[in-house]
Amino acid sequence: MPGPVKNSDFVSKIQVFEPHKAALPPLVPYFKEFWKRRTFATELARFADKAEYLDSKFGKVWLVLNPLLLAMVYFLLVTVIRGSSSKNLGLTTLAHILIGLFTFYFAQNCISAGAQSITAGGRLILNQAFPRALLPFSSTISAFQQFLPTIPVYIFVIVVGKHFFPTTQVPGLTWNYLWVPFIVLMVGLTGFGLALLFATMNVYFRDTNKLLTYMTRIWLYLSPILWQPSMLHGWHKMAIYLNPLGPVLSATSDVWINGKSPSLTIILGSLFWAAFAILFGGYFFISRERDFAVRI
Amino acid sequence: MRYASKAPVVMPEELAVRIEDLSIKYKINVDTKRTLKNAVMRASKGERVRTRVVEAVKHLTLDVPHGSVLGIVGANGAGKSTLMRSIAGILPPTEGRIIVNGKISTLLALGVGFNPALSGRDNIILGGLASGMTRDEIEAKTEEISDFAALPDGFIDMPVRTYSSGMYGRVAFSVAVNMTPDILLLDEALSAGDASFKEKSFNRMRELCKEARTIVIVSHALATINELCDSAIWMHKGTMLAKGKPDAIVDQYLKFLDVGALPSNFEDM
Repeated sequence: MPGPVKNSDFVSKIQVFEPHKAALPPLVPYFKEFWKRRTFATELARFADKAEYLDSKFGKVWLVLNPLLLAMVYFLLVTVIRGSSSKNLGLTTLAHILIGLFTFYFAQNCISAGAQSITAGGRLILNQAFPRALLPFSSTISAFQQFLPTIPVYIFVIVVGKHFFPTTQVPGLTWNYLWVPFIVLMVGLTGFGLALLFATMNVYFRDTNKLLTYMTRIWLYLSPILWQPSMLHGWHKMAIYLNPLGPVLSATSDVWINGKSPSLTIILGSLFWAAFAILFGGYFFISRERDFAVRI
Repeated sequence: MRYASKAPVVMPEELAVRIEDLSIKYKINVDTKRTLKNAVMRASKGERVRTRVVEAVKHLTLDVPHGSVLGIVGANGAGKSTLMRSIAGILPPTEGRIIVNGKISTLLALGVGFNPALSGRDNIILGGLASGMTRDEIEAKTEEISDFAALPDGFIDMPVRTYSSGMYGRVAFSVAVNMTPDILLLDEALSAGDASFKEKSFNRMRELCKEARTIVIVSHALATINELCDSAIWMHKGTMLAKGKPDAIVDQYLKFLDVGALPSNFEDM
């Protein structure tokens, strides 16, 4: 049994809780605590995956199979509707849909799981004081962990495809793949920022998540996944920049399909949406965090 | 700790918690359907979402010394749970301030943070990490927690959904008391388990007090307040009506419950 605790033992542990002078709590202590408890976010992501697939031996395979099968369906639809002039173009279309869907699913998983993270973490929120942004952050980590295995699947499909169609446009190994970490980071940041926004909305309006299902489906069709960014001309190109995932999905097409570096405007567009999502979503979330304990 | 102020703080060494003129207000949505659809429909008719401001705690000032056990009594809606959440740092004040001197452990909602698909061990680790402990610190505690909760052999590694409600409550309580807190906040948490577990819980809390650790208890079980606490407060509609020895406070509160009698000084508040 531990010995008696002297009063002086408590001196270094003083905490003061005061009203926030603005809508936001003091941000430096907030982010210090966020960083200090990052292990909680990574472990929560690990445990959430474990809990989800505990009863299903092949559960995690669906994480790859689902977008893969969906890509096949979209590929068939696109090639039937548009008609394919050559088999090489067919592989390019398939590759574009595949990598586009995998990337889009990463963002979608960040947002949909993140949107539920606060309402699902109810009892934890009622009992523990910790920066609530750790919960959607954990969903982003989980989405990233689910995204990672889709990359080798894509590479496998392309390597096999190139073996049968060696003259396809899809590039081999190039230096441009060094842009991939940048793209993944931008998707993750945009997804996390939007997860913060929708997680807050879900606390106030419990049907937000239902709405998200339809929104993400429409968003998918409006994004350069089933169509290539190069198909847009003139002012129609604005459609890319008005879409939070438009620039980063264009960058995905440039690197993975066209074998070139993204243009400066695409890079800036990606950076803008990532920064906007984090700043706007972060402000919306943190400024309303106090309400979570009384609205859940 | 989070949200800690940088302003210089004067805190007498003998105090665990100092509450200075604390008021807590929050807004709640009073619409029956808290949906986006409902909000859009209202907006289309030019109506706003109906909200109400709740004044849960009003101008409360209180000192809690180290090594003491404070009981809080009051009817539903008195602001007891809000006060506890505020001390824990979960719900920051609207006015006034709270100074806390020590590491807090809480049990404010029974079965806290438990994911039913995960094992008891996994849930304990997650709860500990959320409270700011390291993984090694928590893992060193899990056996102690399991032993204290008197879980049958192997249950600590079984999914929590297989636990009985008693086991569930005992684990939650065991986590809270075995995290070596300086200040332990318990809200209606003493009903977990049978008579022998209750006795064990009381003994553990007495041990904590001997170690100069502080406990704040909210309970409707007034006998528990009398037995464990060395001081108590009575809260009513957000206001602290009385403070003093537990038996005196419990008597006043019982009188209020029987005949609705409020203390004579209430009219002045």
